[in-house]
Amino acid sequence: MDRGCDNHANRAGALGALALTFAAAVALLLAGMSAPHAAPVATGLDRGPESIEIDVSTRSIPIEADFSGTRIVIFGAIHNSRQDAAESGYYDIAVVIWGPNETLVARQKSRVAFIWVNTRSLSVHDVPAYYAFISTRPIDEIADKALLARYRIGFDNVPMRIEEGGGGFSAEELAAFRQAVIRQKAKAGLYREADYGLSFSGPSLFRATLDVPANVPVGEFKVQAFLFHQGTLLSSTTRKLVIEKRGAERLVYALAYDHPFVYGVIAVLAAVLAGLIASAIFKKD
Amino acid sequence: MQIYLPIAEISVNIFLILGMGGAVGFLSGMFGVGGGFLMTPLLIFTGIPPAVAVATEANQIVASSVSGALAQWRRGNVDVKMGTILLGGGVVGAVIGVQIVKILRQIGQVDLIISLSYVTFLGIIGSLMLVESLNAIRKSRGAEGGAPTRRPGQHNWIHGLPFKQRFKRSKLYISAIPPLIIGVLVGFLAAIMGVGGGFVMVPAMIYLLRVPTNVVVGTSLFQIVFVTALTTILHATQNQTVDAVLALLLMTGGVIGAQFGVRVGQKLKGEELRALLALLVLLVCIRLGYNLIATPDDLFSIGRAIGGH
Repeated sequence: MDRGCDNHANRAGALGALALTFAAAVALLLAGMSAPHAAPVATGLDRGPESIEIDVSTRSIPIEADFSGTRIVIFGAIHNSRQDAAESGYYDIAVVIWGPNETLVARQKSRVAFIWVNTRSLSVHDVPAYYAFISTRPIDEIADKALLARYRIGFDNVPMRIEEGGGGFSAEELAAFRQAVIRQKAKAGLYREADYGLSFSGPSLFRATLDVPANVPVGEFKVQAFLFHQGTLLSSTTRKLVIEKRGAERLVYALAYDHPFVYGVIAVLAAVLAGLIASAIFKKD
Repeated sequence: MQIYLPIAEISVNIFLILGMGGAVGFLSGMFGVGGGFLMTPLLIFTGIPPAVAVATEANQIVASSVSGALAQWRRGNVDVKMGTILLGGGVVGAVIGVQIVKILRQIGQVDLIISLSYVTFLGIIGSLMLVESLNAIRKSRGAEGGAPTRRPGQHNWIHGLPFKQRFKRSKLYISAIPPLIIGVLVGFLAAIMGVGGGFVMVPAMIYLLRVPTNVVVGTSLFQIVFVTALTTILHATQNQTVDAVLALLLMTGGVIGAQFGVRVGQKLKGEELRALLALLVLLVCIRLGYNLIATPDDLFSIGRAIGGH
C-alpha cells in the first residue's frame, strides 16, 4: 500500500526485472560466499549475528519529455537470516530514504475581513526535501516510539529544526506547523509512507519499490535500512544515493537559476521568433 | 500526455495547456484584445503558482503582440514619440512592479496580491464591457439614433499640464506627463499581473489623450512588446519565475487560436460577442474572488524560503 502512488510505472516493469536479476545474482553470490565458511549442517542457532545490506536500482533519473516520475527498486539481503521462508515474518525491516536538506517557510492563513490571508509564518530549517519510509508492517507495530525517534523513522520523526525560541509560538502551535509541513510535503508526493511496501522474496532477500515524483529535488540522499526482531534493532546500514536529473527540462531549470539573465533573453528571443514564424505561416494561406 | 514544467515544478497535461492557449488566443484574435487577463487566472486555476503564471504570461504576450506590432509599424500606425514616452514610463513601472513581486514573495503575500489585483481589474473591466455592449445592443435594436456627443477638439484638464510636446503622427500638442503616467501604470500591471495592459492603455489614449484611433493600436502594441519583453527578463533575473516550457506551449496554442479568432471575428456581429466576453471576464473574476473568500482545505501552506536568512 503505497500512499501517494501515481500511475507512471511504464518503465517500472523493465526496472523491476533488472533489479530481480540483480537481486538473484546477489543471492547466488551470498550463497556461494557463505557456503564454504558455514558448517555443512548449519542450523539457525550456530550462525553469526544478522546484518543487513541494501542497494537501489537507479542512481540517475533521466527526465524525458513525458516525465511524470519514475519508480526505483530497493533491494537487499539479511546475512545469517534465521527465518526459513519469505512468509515466516520473523523479521521486520524499515527503509528510510531522505535528503537533501532545505529551508522552508510554513504559513498559516486566517480570515482578515472577508478574505483568507497568510498571517503567521515559521521558518523551518534542515528539513529533508524528500522523505520516504517503507516497511514490512505499520511502524507502530515494529518498534517503540523512543527507538523510532532515535533513528528518525516514520513521519512523526522527520528531522527538522525550528528557529531558536520557536518564533514565539507555543509548543502546540509549533506541532501544528510541523504537521503542516509533513502534510503538504505528502500532498506534493515528496513524503511517502508505505506500511506494507517492503516484502521478502526469500528467507534473506527483500525488495521494495518506491515512486519518485517528477519534482524530486536533486542532490545527495541517505538510504537507511533497519532490521528488527520483536521490537529490537538487530542491524542497520546506511548508503548514499545521488539523484541527478538529465534531459531538456533539467537544462531549462539549470539555466534559469544559474544564468537568469541569459535565460530571460533567450525566453524573449524565442517569443519574438515564435510570433514572427506564426505570422509568416498564416500570411501565406 | 503529461509534461513536467521545470520552473512551475508540476506536471500538467500538455493538451490542456495547448487548448487553453488556443481558446484564449481565439478570443483575443476575435476581439482584438491581448489574452493576458484571461490566461493568467486560467493558469492559476490549473495549479501553476501565481508568480510563475504572471511572469510566464508576460513572456507569451511578447509572442502574441510582436507580429501585430510589426504589421502596424509597416503601415506607419506607430507614433514613435508617444510610444517612446509610454515605453519610458513602462520601464519604470515594470522595474517597480518586479521588485514588489520579489518582496511579496519573500513575505508570502504574492498569491493574495495577484488574486486581489485580478478580482479588482476583472470586476471593473467586465462590468464596463457588459454595460457598454448592452447599450450597443439596445441601440442597434431600437435604432433610436443619437450619436455620442463627443467633440474631439474639446479641451480638458490635460491641456493645462506643462512639458508640452508635439506628437506629429497623432496630430497632438499635449503634455508628456499623462502618457508617461499611463506608461508607468501599464508597466506596473505587466509586472504584477502578466498582462499587456492594452485594456488600460487603449481607452486612456482614446478618451484622455484624444489620440486618433488608427494610431492607438499600433502605438500601444509598440509599447507592449518592449515592456513585456523587459518584464520577462526582469522576472527571470529577480524571481526565476519564467517557465519557458509553459510559455512555449501557450505560444503555440495562442498563435494558432488567434489566427482563427481573427477570421471568425471579422464575420460576426460585435455587440453580442462583446457581451459574452464581458460575462466570461466576470465569471473568472467571481471564481477568483470565491477562492479568496471560501475557507481553504488547508489553512497551512509551505514554500521554499526566498532570500532573507
